Amino acid sequence: MRRTWWIYLIGVLGLVAVAAPFLWMVLGSFKTQGELLRVPPTWWPDNPTTQNYGDLFNKASFPRYFLNSTLVALVVTAGNLTFCSMIGYALAKLRFKGRDALFVLVLATLMIPGMVTFVPLFVLVTNAGLANSYPGLILPFLVSPFGVFLMRQFFSGLPDDLMDAGRVDGTSELGIFGRIMLPLTRPALATLGILTFLGSWNNFLWPLVIAQTEDKYTLPVALALYSTGQNAQNYGLLMAGAVVVVLPVLVMFLAFQRHVTKGIAITGLK
Amino acid sequence: MFTHSIRRRLVIGSAALTATALALAGCGRSEDTPSGGSQATTTVSEGPATGNLTVWAMGTEGENLPKLMQQFQQANPGVKVTVTPIPWDAAHSKFTTAITAQSLPDAAMVGTTWMGEFADLGALDPTPQGFDNGGFYPGALDTTKVGDTQYGVPWYVETRLVYYRKDLAAKAGVTTPPTDWDGLKAMAKAMKEKAGAKYGINLQPGGTGSWQTVMPFAWSAGANLTTDDQKEFTFDTPEMQEGLKYYQSFFTEKLAGTDLPPNQTEAQFVSGQVPMFISGPWMAGSVAKLGGDAIKPNIGVFEIPKNKTSTSFVGGSNFVVFKTSKNKDSAWKLVKFLSDAKTQAAWFKMSSDLPAVKSAWQDPSIASDPLLPVFGKQLESAKAPPAVVNWEQVANAFDTEIEKMAKSGQSPADTAKATQTKASSIGTGS
Repeated sequence: MRRTWWIYLIGVLGLVAVAAPFLWMVLGSFKTQGELLRVPPTWWPDNPTTQNYGDLFNKASFPRYFLNSTLVALVVTAGNLTFCSMIGYALAKLRFKGRDALFVLVLATLMIPGMVTFVPLFVLVTNAGLANSYPGLILPFLVSPFGVFLMRQFFSGLPDDLMDAGRVDGTSELGIFGRIMLPLTRPALATLGILTFLGSWNNFLWPLVIAQTEDKYTLPVALALYSTGQNAQNYGLLMAGAVVVVLPVLVMFLAFQRHVTKGIAITGLK
Repeated sequence: MFTHSIRRRLVIGSAALTATALALAGCGRSEDTPSGGSQATTTVSEGPATGNLTVWAMGTEGENLPKLMQQFQQANPGVKVTVTPIPWDAAHSKFTTAITAQSLPDAAMVGTTWMGEFADLGALDPTPQGFDNGGFYPGALDTTKVGDTQYGVPWYVETRLVYYRKDLAAKAGVTTPPTDWDGLKAMAKAMKEKAGAKYGINLQPGGTGSWQTVMPFAWSAGANLTTDDQKEFTFDTPEMQEGLKYYQSFFTEKLAGTDLPPNQTEAQFVSGQVPMFISGPWMAGSVAKLGGDAIKPNIGVFEIPKNKTSTSFVGGSNFVVFKTSKNKDSAWKLVKFLSDAKTQAAWFKMSSDLPAVKSAWQDPSIASDPLLPVFGKQLESAKAPPAVVNWEQVANAFDTEIEKMAKSGQSPADTAKATQTKASSIGTGS
């Protein structure tokens, strides 16, 4: 015990560093603008108020933004899980001409920063008539090169013997992928799911630019709209909005996190 | 502050994006500008507006505008206006991206400092005949002019005044607000020595937008940001140095602080720590919100003190029609409606935005306010930065040099020279 006290100390310090701003956000969402700006700042709200939450749900059509965000994030996540695992599997386990060249191409697109392709992508989507529509919000993000890379690497680590065993038993190629290999990649799928969901949930610039009317706004865009003025910020509303935005992400993480650790144990099978 | 930090990152990213958007727009334009596609409207027809109109507006303006649009639709039964509110944070990126892809609304509210850039991208429709340009504040009207062409009209305005605590001023023995530079310095000194303030006045020691507090002094000393034809910057002049020197003297004489936490101007004003600052009309509301009813009667404002002139900064927003609009005639009718004195007064009551049309200031809601008429007076002579394409970049460089001057004692002469060097290498862009 005496030798490990510093491990606990570091752990506690880390916890404080991570949790304190989060706690500040939650507590701040119950303060008035005046109290938020006060010097010295207060830790606990003097006169706790739920007005920020009231404003959030009354003033803005919040349920609508919530629905938009959820729909987009779920479809994008589902798309990534499906397509990235399929492409990753093909690039790792199936033999066909030009496979490695294709993989290099995927890697190459991974190197291009999103900002460079942003405007061309926007022009493309607009010319396709998808501005201000759900497909316009979703389609460009259905597959990500990073996801393909992640899944391909994970599939590469699985033994070919499993596939051969399946073939010997007469399983179809689709069956080998769907029923034997895919279930083994659960940790990679969980990681990809969390990252994609987070990325889509927090995406700000694309929904801002592609949505032309308010009813297509997602949460981050709406939050920026209602909390940030030209000359003044409504910090209370921003905090309350941030709390609400963070909640589903927390739930998502807790749900998937279990699979990440479980998966690591299973891969020892080799 | 999870999402906030992410948003920050995106805002930084969006700056890069803007650069990309501009570069791309620049490339595309060289091929298709000769005819420009659509011609500018020259006159607005008689009769009511018709058809569908889409309008973009930022922040609270975007939230409140639909209410005003109901009035417009009642007067023009054949028209349907859809307003899309846009967050201020990324509005600039949204516009530049939309300009590149030509997916613009019919009309929009546009920040005064973006006019040069958007006009240069060929996005804006020149203002047709039939607007009463003499009715706008001249400084605000200047922001709509790029070169010799006028695009859109001023929609609402703001200008900067000196705010002070009336009760503390009385304690410091100042009964009438100062009107010249010596008077302001003496007042700041008295606030510090007799009224128990930590610093006499809150002046921004550099950082984004500090030029907006510096320029009122430089303009008042007779400085100009560019030559008359807006082709060259003129930072390195004796007048500019005089303005900078006066600004710096507040820091060297410890009448303004470089060690104050940022974004605490209202709090320091309410606590009496720093009982004066220079800012726009929205601050009266922010201070009252923080200090409650007790502070309200103690908020005072006075015009920027005089050197050669008393010239403040004019900001605000313009309303423009885009070239790509398929319903330009009705869009201009909408703009005309917005710049009508009666609409302007009605809009003030909805949004607290100050009217750009002078005659709207006679409305009792403004004329009887204890503070607003002072803003109206200052607006008569207030100036805007030139509508040149690269102004935002030059302003950034200026802010950096101001910071060196306020915080590390760079001399006003060197500050003027360094800003001029940077500004010349950036160029006006036109």
